[in-house]
Amino acid sequence: MKEDAPLFPPFAELVAATNYSFLRGASNPREMVATAHALGMAGIGIADRNSVAGVVRAWSGWKKAKEELPDQVHLRLATGARLVFMDGTPDIVAYPATRRGWGRLTRLLSLGNLRAEKGGCILKFDDLLGYLEDLLLIVLPYASPPVEAVPRKKMVPYDHGEDIAPRLSLVMPPLPERLAVILDRLVLRAPGRIWLGAAMACRGDDARQLVRLQRLARAAGVPLLATNDALYATPKQRPLHDVITCIREGTTIAAAGRRLEANAERHLKGPEAMAALFQSCPEAIAETVRLLARIKFTLDQLQYEYPHEPVPEGWTPNGWLVRLTMRAARKRYPRQRLPEKLRAMLREEFALIRSQKYAYYFLTVHDVVAFARAQDPPILCQGRGSAANSVVCFLLGITSVDPMQHDLLFSRFVSGERNEPPDIDVDFEHERREEVMQYIYRRYGRPRAGIAATVIHYRPRSAVREVGKVLGLSEDVTARLSSTVWGSFSSKMEESRYNEAGYSLDNEEIARLSIIVGQLLEFPRHLSQHVGGFVLTEDRLDETVPIHNGGMDDRTFIEWDKDDIDALKLMKVDILALGMLTCIRKAFDLMRANGLGDQTLEVDLDANDPAVYDMLCKGDSIGVFQVESRAQINMLPRLRPRKLYDLTIQVAIVRPGPIEGDMVHPYLRRRNKIEAVEYPSPSPPHDPDELKNLLGETYGVPLFQEQAMKLAIVAAAFSPEDANRLRRAMATFRNVGKMEHFQEKMVKGMTARGYQKDFAERCFKQIEGFGSYGFPESHALSFARLVYVSSWIKHYHPAVFCCALLNSQPMGFYAPAQLVGDARHHGVDVRAIDVNFSNGDNSLEPLLLPRGGRVLATEVSGSNPTIPFVSSAVETPFDPSPRHSTSLGTNGDKSARPFPLERGEGKLALRLGFRQIDGFSETWSNAIVAARATGPFVSIEDLARRAGLPPRALRLLADADACRSIGLDRREALWDVRRTPSDVLPLFAAAEARELAAEPDAMLPAMPKSEHVAADYQTARLSLKGHPMEFLRETFRSEGVLSCAETNAAKDGTRVRTAGVVLVRQRPGKGNAIFVTIEDETGTANILLWARLFERNRRPVMASRLMLVEGEVQKSPEGVVHLMASRIIDRTEELGRLSETHQGTPELLRADVVARPQAPRGHPRNARILPKSRDFH
Amino acid sequence: MDRTAQALGLAIGLGLADARARIPDLLAYDADPHADIDWLERLADGCIRYTPNVALDPPEGLILDIAGGAHLFGGEAALVAMIEDRLARAGMTVRPACADAPDAAQAMARFQCLPGADEAAAVRRLPVAALRLEEESETALKRAGLKTVGDVASRPMATIAARFGAEAVTAIRRLLGEAESPLTPRRTAPALVEERRFAEPVAKTDFAFAVLAELAADAALELEELKCGGRRFEAQFFRTDGLVVRLRVETSLPTRDPKAIMRLFQERLDGLSDPVDPGFGFDLVRLCVPQSEPLAASQLALEGGAVSETQMAELVDRLSTRIGRGRILRLHPQDTHIPEQVQLALPAVEAPPAAWPEAAAGEPPLRPLHLFDPPQLILVEDEQPTEGPPSRFRWRRAFHDVILSEGPERIAAEWWRRKGGHEAGKGGPTRDYYRVEDARGRRYWIFRHGPKADWFVHGVFA
Repeated sequence: MKEDAPLFPPFAELVAATNYSFLRGASNPREMVATAHALGMAGIGIADRNSVAGVVRAWSGWKKAKEELPDQVHLRLATGARLVFMDGTPDIVAYPATRRGWGRLTRLLSLGNLRAEKGGCILKFDDLLGYLEDLLLIVLPYASPPVEAVPRKKMVPYDHGEDIAPRLSLVMPPLPERLAVILDRLVLRAPGRIWLGAAMACRGDDARQLVRLQRLARAAGVPLLATNDALYATPKQRPLHDVITCIREGTTIAAAGRRLEANAERHLKGPEAMAALFQSCPEAIAETVRLLARIKFTLDQLQYEYPHEPVPEGWTPNGWLVRLTMRAARKRYPRQRLPEKLRAMLREEFALIRSQKYAYYFLTVHDVVAFARAQDPPILCQGRGSAANSVVCFLLGITSVDPMQHDLLFSRFVSGERNEPPDIDVDFEHERREEVMQYIYRRYGRPRAGIAATVIHYRPRSAVREVGKVLGLSEDVTARLSSTVWGSFSSKMEESRYNEAGYSLDNEEIARLSIIVGQLLEFPRHLSQHVGGFVLTEDRLDETVPIHNGGMDDRTFIEWDKDDIDALKLMKVDILALGMLTCIRKAFDLMRANGLGDQTLEVDLDANDPAVYDMLCKGDSIGVFQVESRAQINMLPRLRPRKLYDLTIQVAIVRPGPIEGDMVHPYLRRRNKIEAVEYPSPSPPHDPDELKNLLGETYGVPLFQEQAMKLAIVAAAFSPEDANRLRRAMATFRNVGKMEHFQEKMVKGMTARGYQKDFAERCFKQIEGFGSYGFPESHALSFARLVYVSSWIKHYHPAVFCCALLNSQPMGFYAPAQLVGDARHHGVDVRAIDVNFSNGDNSLEPLLLPRGGRVLATEVSGSNPTIPFVSSAVETPFDPSPRHSTSLGTNGDKSARPFPLERGEGKLALRLGFRQIDGFSETWSNAIVAARATGPFVSIEDLARRAGLPPRALRLLADADACRSIGLDRREALWDVRRTPSDVLPLFAAAEARELAAEPDAMLPAMPKSEHVAADYQTARLSLKGHPMEFLRETFRSEGVLSCAETNAAKDGTRVRTAGVVLVRQRPGKGNAIFVTIEDETGTANILLWARLFERNRRPVMASRLMLVEGEVQKSPEGVVHLMASRIIDRTEELGRLSETHQGTPELLRADVVARPQAPRGHPRNARILPKSRDFH
Repeated sequence: MDRTAQALGLAIGLGLADARARIPDLLAYDADPHADIDWLERLADGCIRYTPNVALDPPEGLILDIAGGAHLFGGEAALVAMIEDRLARAGMTVRPACADAPDAAQAMARFQCLPGADEAAAVRRLPVAALRLEEESETALKRAGLKTVGDVASRPMATIAARFGAEAVTAIRRLLGEAESPLTPRRTAPALVEERRFAEPVAKTDFAFAVLAELAADAALELEELKCGGRRFEAQFFRTDGLVVRLRVETSLPTRDPKAIMRLFQERLDGLSDPVDPGFGFDLVRLCVPQSEPLAASQLALEGGAVSETQMAELVDRLSTRIGRGRILRLHPQDTHIPEQVQLALPAVEAPPAAWPEAAAGEPPLRPLHLFDPPQLILVEDEQPTEGPPSRFRWRRAFHDVILSEGPERIAAEWWRRKGGHEAGKGGPTRDYYRVEDARGRRYWIFRHGPKADWFVHGVFA
């Protein structure tokens, strides 16, 4: 190797920032490492500003490069942090020399982080002195201006484990004199571990400064170290760096002036360039290599140890886990020998758990689940995802799918070869998850438990907005550009987006914007906390990774996100929130309270109740877990589920994976016996039925991730490791060239075993489809159970179901208006909000209770189940003077007393609660309910006084038309409220006298029904009186526009015009079609618009709230109707005709992509191996 | 918002981005409410020809009290036609309305174009918005189903008062002409006005000026009490024949020193091309201070001596007044790396003195005393290394041997000002500056434009 000895002395850049120094560094960590390697550096040190958030990425990039090219990569990597102080101390770059040093560094950073509000770090020089051990420090001769970090007022109780009381500090002179003092003090405490950094930044006086620093270093007895204080990898990144500087400073590029760097010199410079710069001081270059040689620490050394669950004396963790499991198994199979299959599975799992030392992990999850179950009332929880493949998890009650009944792949969950920690995700009721989280903090202590971070990245919208501002484009230009980004469907900002907004890329400004936005996309913007991934450790967590304060009180999170955690093989427990569990628990509570039985999550699950499945087969699934979206509702009549496993398939099949892999139609054809089920066989020596065994349950079509993996193992002779690598490849990097390698391998493997080549290729195509999300079977099984439970409740107790759903909002696909409409469609008597009957939450009341102060006998009984939205439940029809028709005293008094509840769902009506009123506080609701105990309210004044309500509350109640039982309709109530000076009432409360004199009747004109409906929508987002479209029907009818029901009833192929209020717009999968659902008084209609027509109709699609659609009716044999739109017209202004003063537009569903852009799918950084529960495609 | 825009369905209150989204080639101009008010005031002044009692009704209305005067113009209708005609010539569209009460006229002009035959009925037909209540009250009235003024007026007033306050009742009564609505005639109200009327016209300008000085002294006292100083002063000499001579001066710092003010007026007077002609004499001299700023009580410096900021400001004011504000300039620091743009010359009256960044103590200056603009090309004859300064260069026909040098100071071009500047390598050439000393001890600031390009001298140090 002598002959190619480098011409220049080796050099390592040890002060390199990445873009995890948020808005300071302009290159990502991998880029920095790659450039350092390309420049032939001896090493690179990644040091971000008070953070180690980017080092794992740098490290894994470096490690991968080393593994792939072991002979060529000699680059060394140092991981540390640049400490920026709040007290004017010059910046100090710290590198841990050992594992212990790393712990000191992360604890120091945690200390600073926990002092500040989210995202800040408050450090002083004295703090560093307490954490000096095993750190190598490069003191830079200048201090970066500190950011205004807000000190945290309410400190999280955190045990730092040692005395961190401020010590006496010397009064320091300002820079540059301070530098000498600092060096002296550091040398005294950490002799031999201090360097003075010097940079030649092309500032004009570099040479003189260098001499000064040399003198200073000599005086302090520390070596001088050459650096370029790099902010980006190559000089190309200067414009981007200038832009992020402006974003940080909140200024424009034209006004930024000297806040920008004067030149592009702060990039990585190779040994040659550095040698030239430091000609007069070559020893400074040599020092970089010397420092690097002293670093013995790499991130590999972060030996992770799982918290030691308390195990009873005399037991090993494994023994205890075995005992707990076996005890549960015996309970499940009382007085009989355990089935052989179970014993085999247990043997396999225990062996793996023992060899991988995962016993503690299982015990921990068991403990969390046990805690939730032990609460009063218990918190519902259920494991999801691949953990359901484990029989241990099942027996311990963590998951609820019996792996005995399904041939599940345990190695999908955990395997010896993989050497990867298992990942158990558990769902809890979303409203009570916080209790579980706080329990974990309590149980392990904050120094040992932390939530993972989520890195928030720049997305097209935010990038366009911020870069546009910096480049001096006006707000309306950027607003217009970002408004055309359909959701955030791509993480790219394509050229066509600019054209759509009417801007040409030939325009210099726009071209510049486009290019810089392209560079900024995917930059980390800040750290946030992960939804529920907990990292737990036996030792102090803050000696592994710095801890931050979360945005929410009492939450602390670590600096690494799930990719980093995976890369470092840390274990994480996902404490997830699932709205449906809350809803189910509330439903069970309501049933119990109303004498409808006591249920658990196991509710007659094995019964496979045909009535429940009949309901689902009709596509009647609004509100049901997972299968309530449009696409699912359309699939239900085709799939016709009859048992739990069908629901598993139902959940898994309407996913981009199977859809893009083109598996849906073959599956349906085979299931409905239109197409023969066939299993290709391999050539003779192999088992001809191997595929039949594998794909039998799904008619030979691979639908689940496990099947894809097994297919590779069985048919293409992949080793389990290979199969697992394939799984990772498809889950995380669908667009990277890696898949080709697998394709070749798979096709070769299959043909070698005698399969047809085209069959092998088709199989691979299908597997590839999973890259964009397929469900693992175990996960779908877990979810299918919740589908059944929620369908069961909906079928047998529609009022309970609707009530529980409304009380668990926000959750699910539909808005309250649709849920209530559906409940009424099922014959539920839904009653309006009323001050004398409602509670804060929606509630159930006996059907016989007089409604709204009127006796039942005078009512049209029940609602008409065939026509939804008919105003059958309007208590007081539009009588101009309702007070004359009401006899208050008698009815009111009666209603105040609790009625003996009758048994049976049929006897219950749903009473809407005050929580449906926008902006109505819970305190007010409680006050009303409490005051009502002494008797019904007889007037607004009475209500105001007894419940002590402020004018705003009264106004909201009146505007919600909630005073009918006291004889006032909306208009009269509002009129009365205005003269009720409720804030002075307490003075007169003692007098107990009616304070306001009777006044002459104002004889207000009656409020038209359309205005009532609009007002209902505005205040409670739903109306029991009618649908806005009802009042426009005549207009539309005269134009020949059909109602939704008429459209759905039209013959296949008819050309129709139909109109309705937009509920949701979606653009699933690859985006070739846009699905819009519109609603009118007769129901909903599904619109499909092809992407090529979308461009022409973009504006009306994006802007309409009331849409008129022209198109052709298309009907599937199962009766699923779509309107294939050819033209869309925005008729939103018609809605304004309903009411002058109310905005009565029904709200968009939460899945609407225009109003609520969703994170893009499929980007490697965001892909989850297990998809989130709520996915609306 | 012009007529075409209205025809296209745009309306006030619509976001510009939304409007653009609807009509991509929309022309938009920033609203300038000040200019609108100025224009309205000018119109108001013009309307004095019809009645002395003209009131502004901003943002777009004028109220003329024509009671008892309309017959001079041939009756109400003729007067309205006359005004419409005149304003049409100025390109204005007028929506006139005549009513007994000013509030009614105002409301009818805004909410309906034609006064009905029956004025009272017309007023009752007006929407409740004409009451000009708070938005919240207006909505409440509409929600109560009361949509017109008549609807509200026919309810018992006590019920209205209980809900919407006495203001609502007053508003209704004013609209119906049942209550007086005071009209505030337009007049400009400067911050401070001092005036002196003479029983006999004064024919001498000097005397009038002496009076002005007295007024300035009075004004000073008053300003002192207000702890203010004037930034603009206007002297008005009213001639008996109706002509007004106006002199305006402004100062860069607030002042109330009568001497300083008078000096400025004198400068202004001397600078006039025609001397002030008193004609038949002045009967009124007025001093207005339209603009004033806080100015703390002053105390004389004990030692005196150095040129104080005030003295400097006085000098600036005098010179600016005499030779023009655009000719007395002051250098202002600019925040940029580009050396020749670091300072910007602005009229001294406009810009107060600014703080300059201080050089680090003990360091030689990084920038030369004299900067050439544009930089001057120098010839570097020998083959030079790509790094470092030249050893010898020729400038102004003389050779300079570089003995000492320091640098480079590298200053990159402002990429965002160049076409395609955001692309790699197109950001513009960087400049490498060196401070060099030649054999004769003269120091130059030279730079090379880009790695291989020409050399320039940009300045000399001493």
